[in-house]
Amino acid sequence: MQVSNRNKDHRSILVLAVVCGTLQLALVPNIGLGNGRANLALVFSACIALTVGGRKSVLAGFFAGLFFDLSTTGPIGLMSLLLSVSAYLLGLQGRNRITGDLGLTMGTFTVHALAVSLAYHVTMLLVGEAGGFLDVVALRTLPTALLTVIAFIPFAIWLTRVQPSGPNLGGGRRRSSRGSHFNMRGL
Amino acid sequence: MSLSDGGLGSSAPSLRNKNQNTGGGILVILVVASIVLFTVSVRGGETGVLGTVRSGFQTITSPVRYAGAVVASPFQGLANIFTNLTVDQATLSELQAENDELQTRNAELEEAEQTATRLQGLLDLKDTYNLQSTAAHVISGSTDSWTSTVTIDKGTSSGIAVGMPVTATSGVIGQVIGCGATTSTVRLVTDESSSISAMIQTSRAQGMLTGSATGQLALTLISTSQTVEVGDIVVTSGLGGVFPKGLPLGKVTSVENNPGSLYLDIIVEPFSTYGSYEEVLVITSLTEGQQASSDDIAAADAQDTASATSSSTAATAASSSSSSSTTDGTATTATGTTE
Repeated sequence: MQVSNRNKDHRSILVLAVVCGTLQLALVPNIGLGNGRANLALVFSACIALTVGGRKSVLAGFFAGLFFDLSTTGPIGLMSLLLSVSAYLLGLQGRNRITGDLGLTMGTFTVHALAVSLAYHVTMLLVGEAGGFLDVVALRTLPTALLTVIAFIPFAIWLTRVQPSGPNLGGGRRRSSRGSHFNMRGL
Repeated sequence: MSLSDGGLGSSAPSLRNKNQNTGGGILVILVVASIVLFTVSVRGGETGVLGTVRSGFQTITSPVRYAGAVVASPFQGLANIFTNLTVDQATLSELQAENDELQTRNAELEEAEQTATRLQGLLDLKDTYNLQSTAAHVISGSTDSWTSTVTIDKGTSSGIAVGMPVTATSGVIGQVIGCGATTSTVRLVTDESSSISAMIQTSRAQGMLTGSATGQLALTLISTSQTVEVGDIVVTSGLGGVFPKGLPLGKVTSVENNPGSLYLDIIVEPFSTYGSYEEVLVITSLTEGQQASSDDIAAADAQDTASATSSSTAATAASSSSSSSTTDGTATTATGTTE
């Protein structure tokens, strides 16, 4: 039976959005690996997709992508498209309750980070913004995906703490730290 | 009973409803919306409605970027740690000697700093009267992996416009490509899509300085008949009317004359690299003396003509050697060696 506290859901999503948005604007420009920069918009949409799923995750992906597009100098709409699709697919996988398994969560996210990064940069190549495919892959896609995966690690750990592990009914569930906003009180 | 349906802040156990909406319908709508946005954005560029929206967004979020830059500034030196770990003893000794010399000079520079402070006041006065340049602070780097840009804390409200050149004390850093009310985005010369008319300071050979994904600059369109040496200074040529003539850009680090090529392969190290500057000058207008003179334009035309002539000669030579090769198998090799 579902007794969902929607207000708490919305508040949690909002807090996560503010955290990721602030980090994207304030921290990401100052930490680079080659030409790569972490994509906190992808991290945010993945967190929502893996925990909430459904329509909310697709909407979160779209608006996170739009936020990313507006904060860069690239074309608007590209990242929102990619994150909408990515969030949808991750949401479907979230249904398989992968979020309780750190390794599986990281593996799934890594695949999505690589795919989104590659698709973004190849599209930029196709619209005439790059010199060659090798540059796109070696100098942009891989560093971006790597930094994004690293940025996702603390969020993934948090996901495994607030979500049950495995297909068991509530098996392996642990409480988040006392006083945390994302507590599981009442579950 | 699955808990994942409960979401981030679920406070009660919930069963995942297998018929729950997976978001397929909304996905289709948002995909279409994204494609429309992408098309409009690519077609309209920075001048369209979306460009205005982006400017507004960047203005609103500029305090966050600025705060991030302030917080991160003490840690910028951390990037050098890994480089320093591999430095050999000779380099360390050299650096020690250089450090001693710099400490001596530091006393002199303390005096010069006070002079500079006074001169800075004069520059501010100059800006107040809306003269040729506006000082700005760099508040943020690029937020994506695609472009090499910086964000400065001056925008249209300070008279900045798209296309204006930007320079630091050591040389040109780039060109304004987007403006908000209080911030502007500057494309750095190292950006892959950057291209600036430039020339060798000593020989006056003119070409185009282009950026690359590796961060190196390439000076192109300088024919093999021109004289370029490692260590030569590259400056703006003033052709095109955007950049003032004579601003330093970088130093030639490599020159290659490949057989069969019409142009030299020249690699240039930029004087201004990201992180080496905090204050910049945005050049808001050019005086007549800063633009390329008719003599410069004539010289560039003459260089183009010479390149075209040598291209034609090379083509003729290639044609004749090709003809010869039908009767003499060694002709092609001989031509390649000669060039």
